[in-house]
Amino acid sequence: MKSAVLNSALPHGHIICAERWRNSALIQDLKGGGVNILFENELGLADFHLPSKTSILYVSEGNIVAGTEYRRKLVRYRNASSLQDVVLVERTRLSEQYFPAVQRFVVLDLGLALVPVSGQTEASQLIIQMVHGQTRENPFRPRSSCRLLDPLVLALVQQVPGVGRVKAVTLLQNFSSIQQLCSAAPAELELIVGRASALQIHSFFHK
Amino acid sequence: SVCILVDSRCISSGVELMSILRQRHAATVHICSLDGSYFIVSNRMAVERHSQSDVAAMQNRKRLVERVTGLQVLFDRVCLIVEKDRTKTGETSRPFQRTRYYDNMVAALVSAGVRLLWSDGAEDTAVLLMDLARLEHRKGQGITVPLEVKGQHRQQVLQMYLSIPSVNYAHALNLSHNFHSIAQLIDSPVEAIQKGGNMSRSRAEEIYRFLRYSCDSFLVNTPKTGNNT
Repeated sequence: MKSAVLNSALPHGHIICAERWRNSALIQDLKGGGVNILFENELGLADFHLPSKTSILYVSEGNIVAGTEYRRKLVRYRNASSLQDVVLVERTRLSEQYFPAVQRFVVLDLGLALVPVSGQTEASQLIIQMVHGQTRENPFRPRSSCRLLDPLVLALVQQVPGVGRVKAVTLLQNFSSIQQLCSAAPAELELIVGRASALQIHSFFHK
Repeated sequence: SVCILVDSRCISSGVELMSILRQRHAATVHICSLDGSYFIVSNRMAVERHSQSDVAAMQNRKRLVERVTGLQVLFDRVCLIVEKDRTKTGETSRPFQRTRYYDNMVAALVSAGVRLLWSDGAEDTAVLLMDLARLEHRKGQGITVPLEVKGQHRQQVLQMYLSIPSVNYAHALNLSHNFHSIAQLIDSPVEAIQKGGNMSRSRAEEIYRFLRYSCDSFLVNTPKTGNNT
């Protein structure tokens, strides 16, 4: 069971850390970076919870070198969580040789996000950016597009061989959608663009 | 065999990668003209390849954002392979210094759902591309239609499909092979577009709506030569 603190919205600039991190260098760095830290005993498998439903699992060099136990933990982590999960993997001289296999497992098999870090210092720097970034607009977040479709329809009609911009505009003034243009009979098209062009347009759509 | 579509613009920057894919992995690498320098490994997945210093350089920000967000419109899944910078022979490799800006970009990419993969160089990247393509194939997302579109008319039809918003090259190939004419596509219900294009329901709905979209607002501002209004 997850505790109440996880279910309530976490204020910006705050993160929840698993109790076991209390005396770590990473926590010191986070504090230095202006992050407010709450400790929690019942964080489950995750090491950190960030605002806006992100959780982080930290896989240390030791975990990787020690064997495959971390894999079972990752599977449980993935299955238990409904948050956006990020796995930080210590990529060091010692764990380097295992990294491709770890990456394949985490990203391809489990579908989790992975970021390599050289150690706790780099991890804290990334977490600080993750926490602070949440108050900024994310440039990569897909926006609901409210593109004006008219120019796109016009551009598509110009893909019909023999139809330039002027003809395309004229056609769309008479048949306002691509569907209407496509279902127009050659005789209807002929009144607008002439016989040869009408046949060419009709055959392009129907051939 | 595994097939990967590659933009023609990748050729000059990725000679080594292409030959590793073809020779060592026996992949079918099909060069085509995409609207950017990326790879397509399935009907729904595109892969961008950037060097670590590329991601870390603030002056590249606008270009990177445009490329990634452009792909997010066309593909359900977007991967970014971050490749370690190459060291020229004789140079000792300098450890990459992460900056606040770099971490900020990585955090933003992760948060936006872009899949990041980390590569040591062309050989690693080739393995990752192969793994992604195989995985997508196992999930039923592989490109199964012929990669060639033969004849001038079919080529022109392919180009028309590509000009429908949110249709990527793989969708356009599927549409070209699964509908015998543009008219058949236009008269098809959403379900048939989804099946024939090997795409998501929402994308098929978007196409369906686009083909029926009535353009009036734009044409109001253009000089009229017709006489129906």
